[in-house]
Amino acid sequence: MENSSQESHLRSENSVTHESPYPLYAMAVCGQRIAVGSFIEDYTNRVDVVSFEPESLSIKTHPSLSFDHPYPPTKLMFDPNSSSRKSSSNRHLLASSGDFLRLWDVGDSSIEPVAVLNNSKSSEFCAPLTSFDWNEIEPKRIGTCSIDTTCTIWDIEKGVVETQLIAHDKEVYDICWGEARVFASVSADGSVRIFDLRDKEHSTIIYESPQPDTPLLRLAWNKQDLRYMATILMDSNKVVILDIRSPTLPVAELERHRACVNAIAWAPQSRRHICSVGDDSQAFIWELPLPPVAGPNGIDPMSMYSAGSEINQLQWSPAQPDWLAIAFSNKMQLLKV
Amino acid sequence: MASAAQNQEGVPEILRKQLAVAVRSIQWSYAIFWSLSAAQQGVLEWGDGYYNGDIKTRKTMQAMELTPDKIGLQRSKQLRELYESLLKGESELAYKRPSAALSPEDLTDAEWYYLVCMSFVFSSGQGLPGRALANSETIWLCNAQCADSKVFSRSLLAKSASIQTVICFPHLDGVIELGVTELVPEDPSLLQHIKASLLDFSKPFCSEKSSSPPYDEDDDSDPLCAKVSHEILDTVALESLYSPGEENKFDGEGVYELHGNINEELHLDSADECSKGCEHNHQTEESFMVDGINGAASQVQSWHFVDDDLSNGIPDSMHSSDHKSESLVNQAEGFPSSKDENMSHIQLKELQEGNHTKLSLLDLGIDDGAHYRKTLSAIFGSSNRLTENPCFLSVEHKSSFVSWKKGGMVKRHWPGIQQNLLKKILFSVPLMHGGCTHRSQKEICRKYCPVTMESDNFCEEHISSDKRTENEKFMVLRSMVPYISEVDKASILSDTIKYLKKLEARVEELESCMYSVDSEPRPKRNYTEMVEQTSDNYDNKKLDNHKKPWINKRKACDIDETDPELNKFVPKDGLADVKVSIQEMDVLIEMRCPSREYILLDIMDAINNLHLDAYSVVSSNLDGVLTLALKSTFRGAAIAPAGIIEQALWKIAGKC
Repeated sequence: MENSSQESHLRSENSVTHESPYPLYAMAVCGQRIAVGSFIEDYTNRVDVVSFEPESLSIKTHPSLSFDHPYPPTKLMFDPNSSSRKSSSNRHLLASSGDFLRLWDVGDSSIEPVAVLNNSKSSEFCAPLTSFDWNEIEPKRIGTCSIDTTCTIWDIEKGVVETQLIAHDKEVYDICWGEARVFASVSADGSVRIFDLRDKEHSTIIYESPQPDTPLLRLAWNKQDLRYMATILMDSNKVVILDIRSPTLPVAELERHRACVNAIAWAPQSRRHICSVGDDSQAFIWELPLPPVAGPNGIDPMSMYSAGSEINQLQWSPAQPDWLAIAFSNKMQLLKV
Repeated sequence: MASAAQNQEGVPEILRKQLAVAVRSIQWSYAIFWSLSAAQQGVLEWGDGYYNGDIKTRKTMQAMELTPDKIGLQRSKQLRELYESLLKGESELAYKRPSAALSPEDLTDAEWYYLVCMSFVFSSGQGLPGRALANSETIWLCNAQCADSKVFSRSLLAKSASIQTVICFPHLDGVIELGVTELVPEDPSLLQHIKASLLDFSKPFCSEKSSSPPYDEDDDSDPLCAKVSHEILDTVALESLYSPGEENKFDGEGVYELHGNINEELHLDSADECSKGCEHNHQTEESFMVDGINGAASQVQSWHFVDDDLSNGIPDSMHSSDHKSESLVNQAEGFPSSKDENMSHIQLKELQEGNHTKLSLLDLGIDDGAHYRKTLSAIFGSSNRLTENPCFLSVEHKSSFVSWKKGGMVKRHWPGIQQNLLKKILFSVPLMHGGCTHRSQKEICRKYCPVTMESDNFCEEHISSDKRTENEKFMVLRSMVPYISEVDKASILSDTIKYLKKLEARVEELESCMYSVDSEPRPKRNYTEMVEQTSDNYDNKKLDNHKKPWINKRKACDIDETDPELNKFVPKDGLADVKVSIQEMDVLIEMRCPSREYILLDIMDAINNLHLDAYSVVSSNLDGVLTLALKSTFRGAAIAPAGIIEQALWKIAGKC
């Protein structure tokens, strides 16, 4: 092991690890509850909900708070409102995406399935979802994106589809809400597009990957400063920062990872900070100058952390702004920021 | 030239351009400025106007095509002239009017409406404009054509012109009225947008800059890129690039994008960073015919900008910091500097790469720029979470993170496949969910709607029903033909072809051997060999009598069976059949497949893996064929769709 990672491991009092019997990918944080989804390339997969105790810096598992999922869940997310709710009512809504969007009611001792949101006309055929996003401003709205190039907006209170748009030319890989009726999505066709539900006939491409048809894999919209978005490309170690007011030109490209970037997350309480994790097992926190102006050598990260292996997932929840959750191999780790 | 200054009744030419900008940016039909009459107190009369609606006959004096805005200005002027000539009296019609002027029969209904509006006069509180001025309020009238004539005196006129929405609001010393032939629900952001665009230009304009010789469209080496600067006022440069009436094809030299960026800032709402690449492309579509767009090869980029004069107003608004902050266009904060950065290392290649897909955006037309701005104003208008908290990341001693050091990490040998898990989640996990039609749908989408994908109808019906039935039929085909694992149409078809050939061969074989069944003793054959034979070797089919394994086996069993019908037994469609039907939590599975060792165990295993609990199993092994009817129920919440169950069972049935 290198020095830096040893260093990080020595600081174990500031990071909390949960070791799971299977590799993890999907993760969602809600207050002190963390839902982790397994990544087993098989039909049987599980989602566990663990709780984090900040006082004792430990993670408690609840065997009853667990459910099966067909094939690995591609994304997990808690109801954004539940983080603002008092923790006395401990029921949170968790959404998972895979073949369909499923809603689960996570209680104190059990998880009940609430709904399976299936839009396919035929009972047998579905368009599996690659990702989804829960609208914070309008919590009854969830936008999902799928490999059939469409994005579907659900009204989960009524359990119906609000609208379905053909968003891209190729599979859509990620979706992110900016406002109650505005969302952006990235796709294998290499473009970031912004859609407005008030005007479904038009969308705006605000960025396209420099090499045509390089898929853009993930998208993150800075909820503190809606001007900025970040996206990552396939097989690239760059984090591309975009300003939605100036389409096509990235504002900055953060290129310090030594291997490809796997996930990005904006800081929930600061406008200028973003975290990225990659295959080089590093997690970087960057501080972007405002307005983002790149120096001649690019922007350096502010701080870094080394994990034991490639970091696949990152969650920075507004409910826990001091703690950053990462997932690598079969571990989930909470890092103190 | 239409842009020659022409004062009409004391209202500056500028106002008309403001109106033009305002109405064009939202693509409405007309804009009128009602000004307070000099003659009568408190009476509103026609001040100026801009017509942006449908035109029937175009009459221009110049040979060259003008930009739409210039056309629009000219049209408005022509309408005004027509009105004045009509006023003067019919006797002068015949000879007074120059040939290139409009005559009444050239006008569309909307143009008539616009023309007739010129004759209207409103006293205080009368009619829509009168009321707007008297109460200093904005009036948004929907369904104007049905409005009461007390509310909207021109409602009948509006009906004939199909004007459905009219808005009036006080501006300066008069009232601005805008109208459109569509029904637009009240939208405050739109109003704000219009007002902002009007205000931006309320600055004195410098004189028009002379245009340089028209730019040769093939000349790609544009020396002007170096000149691009903060000042923006390379209008000279821009004008030189602009050659009206031609489609400028560029090989995607990013510099044009650059100028496009500048240009489209000149157009419409200035300092509007938001609509860079996209908008200018939309404008191009609007200004020149779509037929210039051909495929991905060339990129049609051309510009039009409102007026040279307007450009001079832009730097002011760009730099000024005293704009209303709520106007979204005034995000002057830091922007000029970043623009500089952007321009200097503009990644021309990137843009040129990206541009080829803009062609699709071009279809969207000019609307998109305005729509995107509306979207942005919606985003920023509602956002109130700009909490500045830069200090939160004080690196306490307790943090897990260390400060970043360059070269702090020892170089490691990175795994061959990067982003492995991420790629799997995105690429392979969705495909694990069997029975999905994504690929066929994708192919369909791409094949049938390459252009229309970006165009108006982003709606569900796009995946239309007949395509879905086609997909479903493909899926049915797939389920009928064994050994198919792919989902895409091409391989389904090829596998089907192979299977059909096998079947045909076997049928032929069987038919021929049916008549020679009794003659020779057949050697007994092994199950596995037999099954293999049928599955693999049917391409080299042999009609020799001594190679009838299927029938042989049949015959061997016949010795024990007394059922005569078995003699004529011809295997039905396919070697195996799997039927799964789901009713709520109950699953009924019916299978028929060649029996083998442990097959029942495998089936139960598979069912168990799919979280099914079998509660009733009826199976029989007849003639080496296993017939199974299994009733089961889902154990938990994870419900597998029928397709997955079928797939798993097919795998078992097919295995040997």
